[in-house]
Amino acid sequence: MQCSKCGNPKVIYKREQSGQLLCQDCFIESIEKKVIKTIKNEKLLDKGDKVLVALSGGKDSVTTLEILNSFRKMQVIDICAVTVDEGIANYRQEGVDIAKRHAERLGIEHKVVSLKEDYGITLDEIMEKENHRGSCTYCGVFRRTIINKAAREMGATKIATGHNLDDEVQAIMMNYLEGNTGNLTKLGAKTESKAEEFTVKIKPLREIPEREIGLYVVAKDLEVHFDSCPYAMQSFRGEVSEVINQLAEKHPTIKYSTLRGYDKIKNTLKKEMQKEYAHGRCKRCGEPASNELCKACFFLEELGL
Amino acid sequence: MSFLLKYKQLEEKCEIPNENYTIRDLLDEMELSPQTVVSKQNGELVIEDTVIEDGDEIQLVQIIYGG
Repeated sequence: MQCSKCGNPKVIYKREQSGQLLCQDCFIESIEKKVIKTIKNEKLLDKGDKVLVALSGGKDSVTTLEILNSFRKMQVIDICAVTVDEGIANYRQEGVDIAKRHAERLGIEHKVVSLKEDYGITLDEIMEKENHRGSCTYCGVFRRTIINKAAREMGATKIATGHNLDDEVQAIMMNYLEGNTGNLTKLGAKTESKAEEFTVKIKPLREIPEREIGLYVVAKDLEVHFDSCPYAMQSFRGEVSEVINQLAEKHPTIKYSTLRGYDKIKNTLKKEMQKEYAHGRCKRCGEPASNELCKACFFLEELGL
Repeated sequence: MSFLLKYKQLEEKCEIPNENYTIRDLLDEMELSPQTVVSKQNGELVIEDTVIEDGDEIQLVQIIYGG
């Protein structure tokens, strides 16, 4: 057995979808090349961009930071980072500390924003309330609002998130299964909103399977927070992920074919299904909103805050 | 014939049950999916088809958690 690329007998990975065998160096190179290819093909970066990395300290965001940093070294872009502390006991702090260390190591501007400071409540406290809507609903909405605000405050022109192939395929299938055609139009490598308050979002890892990102950080010896969010198992996403992974065992290319299929119909979907953008402003916080309140403020009022 | 197993906080000396016992066999016994862990043999990353030898240190790193 030897590396399909260089012949090194120390193979660390077999790509199920292609049968390719890779040694450590060739594996690392293949991931970096593939991400750079996505960035170029999808035109994710422009020279002079200031990219805000949503940095949780987990494997996906640390990999995003690591690979985007190669563009920073070549002085193509500048990078800053934000870490959201949702207030999840015995889980989030380690990620926050790791994120801080990566930002220091690379010498990039970094800020940590907590739900408690911004909204006066932690996710744990929300989950103690009787009328809550499930952890992921709040986490997603509050985190998105905080990251958007941080991008404006830090002068970022793009927001990079660590969404990987598995995340993207789960989102495609979840939205399809729920009949959520509005959200289905918003996926993709680059999402731009008509509202200028929303910074363009990019997903450089969109074509990398989650497992390969895990192996990449171990192979590169990058410090990351490997742990499970205590609320993760309550999610519909978890159920969808399980089904897709079961299918992938017998059909190793299924995640890529789902992604490619979606990409083929995306433009048609957008033309037919995209909702007109809300031009209103939230009366409570001033953020873009389709109703009187933005989603974050609607949830806050519902929670009695 | 034994090896040292390291997994999360666990550090345990295990017997090698049979010849050509691979990391994949070990993962099966531990009911761990090869999709969620990466394996190191004596500190170096290896694929799951690697045969565990006497005196090996096998470290399993969980890289994917549910959800």
